[in-house]
Amino acid sequence: MIFNWFKIFIYHLRQNKLFSFLNVLGLSIGIAGVIFAILYWNNENAYDQWNPEKENSYQVLNKIGGTGNTWASNSIPFGETCKATIPEIESVCFFNNTWYDNAPIKYQNKKIMAEKITMSDNGFFDVFPFPIVKGAKTNILKEDSSVAISEETAKLLFNDQDPIGKSLSYNNKVYTVKSVYHLIRPSSIEPNYVFGGVKREGDKTSWGNFNYGLMIKAKKGTDPNALVKKMQNVNFVNRTVKDAKESGQTVAQYVKENGETTVIIDQLKTARLHGTKSSQGINFPEGKGNLQLLYIMVGLSILILVLSLVNYINLATASAIKRAKEVGVRKIVGATKSQIVTQFIFETAIIVILGILFALAIVELSLPYYNVFLKKTLTMNGSEFYLQLIFIFGLVIVLAGIFPAVYISNFETLKVLKGNFSRSKSGIWIRNSMLIFQFGIAAFFIIGALIVNSQVDYMMNKDLGFSGDQVIRVPFNTPERIKRTSQYLTMKQEIKKISGVQEISTFAGTFGNSTNSSSGFTHNGIHVQPRNVEMDFGFLEMMKIKIVQGRDLLPQFASDTVSNMLMNETLVKTLNLKNPINTIITSGWGKDSDEENMKFKIVGVVKDFHITGLQDKVPPMVFINLKTLQWNNFNNVYLKVSPNNLTETLAKLKTYWEKNVNPDYPFDYEFVNKGFAKTYQEQVKQKDLFFILNLVVIVIAIFGLFALASFSMERRLKEIAIRKTLGAETDALLKELSKQYVVFCLIGFAIGVVPAYILLQKWLENFAFRIGVSVVPFTIAFISLLVLTLLIVSAKAYQVTKIDILKYLKYE
Amino acid sequence: MITIQNLTKVFRTEEVETSALSGISLEIKKGDFLTIMGPSGCGKSTLLNIIGLLDSATDGSYKLLDQEMVGLKEKGRANVRKENIGFIFQNFNLIDELSVYDNIELPLLYNNVKASDRKQKIEAIAEKLNISHRLKHYPQQLSGGQQQRVAVARALVNDPKIILADEPTGNLDSKNGNEVMELLTDLHAKGATILMVTHSDYDASFSQKTIHMKDGVIFSEKLNQRNVDVFMDAK
Repeated sequence: MIFNWFKIFIYHLRQNKLFSFLNVLGLSIGIAGVIFAILYWNNENAYDQWNPEKENSYQVLNKIGGTGNTWASNSIPFGETCKATIPEIESVCFFNNTWYDNAPIKYQNKKIMAEKITMSDNGFFDVFPFPIVKGAKTNILKEDSSVAISEETAKLLFNDQDPIGKSLSYNNKVYTVKSVYHLIRPSSIEPNYVFGGVKREGDKTSWGNFNYGLMIKAKKGTDPNALVKKMQNVNFVNRTVKDAKESGQTVAQYVKENGETTVIIDQLKTARLHGTKSSQGINFPEGKGNLQLLYIMVGLSILILVLSLVNYINLATASAIKRAKEVGVRKIVGATKSQIVTQFIFETAIIVILGILFALAIVELSLPYYNVFLKKTLTMNGSEFYLQLIFIFGLVIVLAGIFPAVYISNFETLKVLKGNFSRSKSGIWIRNSMLIFQFGIAAFFIIGALIVNSQVDYMMNKDLGFSGDQVIRVPFNTPERIKRTSQYLTMKQEIKKISGVQEISTFAGTFGNSTNSSSGFTHNGIHVQPRNVEMDFGFLEMMKIKIVQGRDLLPQFASDTVSNMLMNETLVKTLNLKNPINTIITSGWGKDSDEENMKFKIVGVVKDFHITGLQDKVPPMVFINLKTLQWNNFNNVYLKVSPNNLTETLAKLKTYWEKNVNPDYPFDYEFVNKGFAKTYQEQVKQKDLFFILNLVVIVIAIFGLFALASFSMERRLKEIAIRKTLGAETDALLKELSKQYVVFCLIGFAIGVVPAYILLQKWLENFAFRIGVSVVPFTIAFISLLVLTLLIVSAKAYQVTKIDILKYLKYE
Repeated sequence: MITIQNLTKVFRTEEVETSALSGISLEIKKGDFLTIMGPSGCGKSTLLNIIGLLDSATDGSYKLLDQEMVGLKEKGRANVRKENIGFIFQNFNLIDELSVYDNIELPLLYNNVKASDRKQKIEAIAEKLNISHRLKHYPQQLSGGQQQRVAVARALVNDPKIILADEPTGNLDSKNGNEVMELLTDLHAKGATILMVTHSDYDASFSQKTIHMKDGVIFSEKLNQRNVDVFMDAK
């Protein structure tokens, strides 16, 4: 029986080579999209799932009162007090949670530029229990001079020697290798080195220094809500109450004025994708899962699969008419309805198998690009993936196969064999409503792509308030941070002499990633938490950042490196300063902890410029000179270089850097504009994604429309012949034939507009700076959809009107 | 073999009720060769379709092999049909996409006949109908007469109890038509039960008995004298 079915399937396949191919292709594109989404989904959801402590481990975040910022960082005394006073907490772990260090590591005469270095404490392996393959299994980082390394690193550094007990040097300090661990991926943190001694002396007793990532491991069965309440209480007793007392206010008063820090805990199991959004943007060194992109991918791929399924169903039911006689004959010679259904599902199954094979080929070929796009290394592997593939297979067969099969099996034998069934109207309304649905999806995609495109354009062309043209950022990793400012000021003169360097300056931060520190203060009862811009003289001028009131900080005024500051427009507005110039404010900085906070005079107001991406509003900022606080907090210098002889200039800089700045670090540079462009890289990706998917959708939809129009027009050949005999002209016929498709296009567009508007509006809400949704993208989408429809339909209609009248009048 | 009593068939649409058969009674015995004649719309095809279980009666009784067929569900009808009834149509109704062999094989497939038996049966029937050399061809490659012989082979391959022929020569020229009629006569001579609908008096003359219908009733029955037609080719 199956052989018989197969023969007839092959016959039809060969008869309709083009349509069959397009049908398989359409399905396979839809399936490929779903496979891509699944690979991404699996990977994102696999983070930390290996970790046996994933359910008991939590990351601690703080929502700072007053500003409402959420920080994924904590102070040391808070974590330690929690551990000491809350019995449910088994252990705590401080670590560098938002970044890895990349630095030279030395062993004997060997020096390697190591990546993914982190610092932590003895609690690290309680929360991230990477299996220990060599060395101590407990108390690994008890001493501050201990280090644990990954297997790969051990091999790289020591080849076949036993690494345990060997000495490494990192940042001019010597560490002893205590253990070698096996790294399990994917994990929220995948370090090659875990150095002990993350806690700095100055931070150990300071409740206000939020400098560390904090993980806690709770006892099994602990209620997280009760736990967070207890932690909140630790903060209340030790911070809020004490601070209120110090400021001489009642607790209620103090909280009303300054707000209170709220403790938040994220379970490790779901932290990657569903963790709390922090101001730093990332909570773990491996970053945050992009839930939005994930949802977009999954949503769009499902839409495309649905589109290709609709296409398949439409074509299958339309071409079923050609199979009517076969079905009738089969029924007469004894086939039951279920046998007919099985036969057609069997055919769908073959098509779907072909589709999946095609899809796998498509995925295999484009996976490298996809990996670049997602910055991942996904592979098609694992039993989970194959199970999902089988599930897709079943699902597609059910969705695509059952409807046409039942439709076909319901043909009435007598009508099929006697009457002229080929002009039957049965099933037309379903096909038409599916066509309308397709128009809706196509409209959604076109509108979506246009809006995403214009937002990205807007972001790329927006006036950022600074000009990064010809300015490069060069990392300035001097060995001793404490001397960095004075070293910089000395070297500045020498660097300026290098031909091609036009200007040199610096500030403690990077464009696109904000500044390196932030300090709160209260003025006139308003609490603010501005970003600190510690900068060299001439920095604002070099970056073409404008001063709107007062003046820039200048070397000729001695007080400009002591007690003068600038503010940006946002901060002035937040503080309600009508006449900001010469206003004295009490800063949040004290030279020593017991000394009174320093007072500053505002000498100028800086025009707002973007320091982070356009997702965020311009933060409040204060500007002070590098020498004022002597924090040595900057990591880069900024050079304006001449576009002529750039290679030569860079070569000279490289030589200078390697000789004078730090021989251990290779010379590196980045154009400021390119660095800032990283802030909208994600959106550029989404734009590209939308563009590619748009092409796919339009190709599938066009093919579906063409095929359906062909089928339905060919059914009307006799009618056309009669109309022509009666004197209908080609124009009139074209109109007659195209009319209904234009109506479908209109209805479909109307259906697609609403979800497009709502979802895109939601997407735009990600951006503090965004375009308004105008009618333009809708109009463009509408016109292009209509033009495409008319083009396809009238091309087919024109072909149909050229038929030989006699043939159809005689034989039909 | 077949007993029909007071059979009626009413077609209903939203506005009109048309009575296609009004109280037909008929008996067909094993080995009979019966012809139904009548003008278009007299109900002869409807009667044939009901007997062939392609359609159901509105009222009355139709017994096939002493089993009541009126009121039987689609599935039951399909089962009785595939075991007992062979069809021959005016337009042959062969599946163009399948070879002659595959076409003849279909009823065997649906009756779950074993693969080895199928081959044997098909070859035997093809031999009998003189189409052995055509088994690998497709219907479109054959003449009308050959196509009808394939259809006959398909109708017979499963040894049905009764053969229903709906204007079997209607689409054939006289030479091919004759061949088919002789085939049917042959089968009848070997004991087959045949019910045929035709417009042609000539074709009817091959059968034992002719029933004339008009407006849904049988108004005459006559036994045919089998004439040996000397000038057969002349017609």
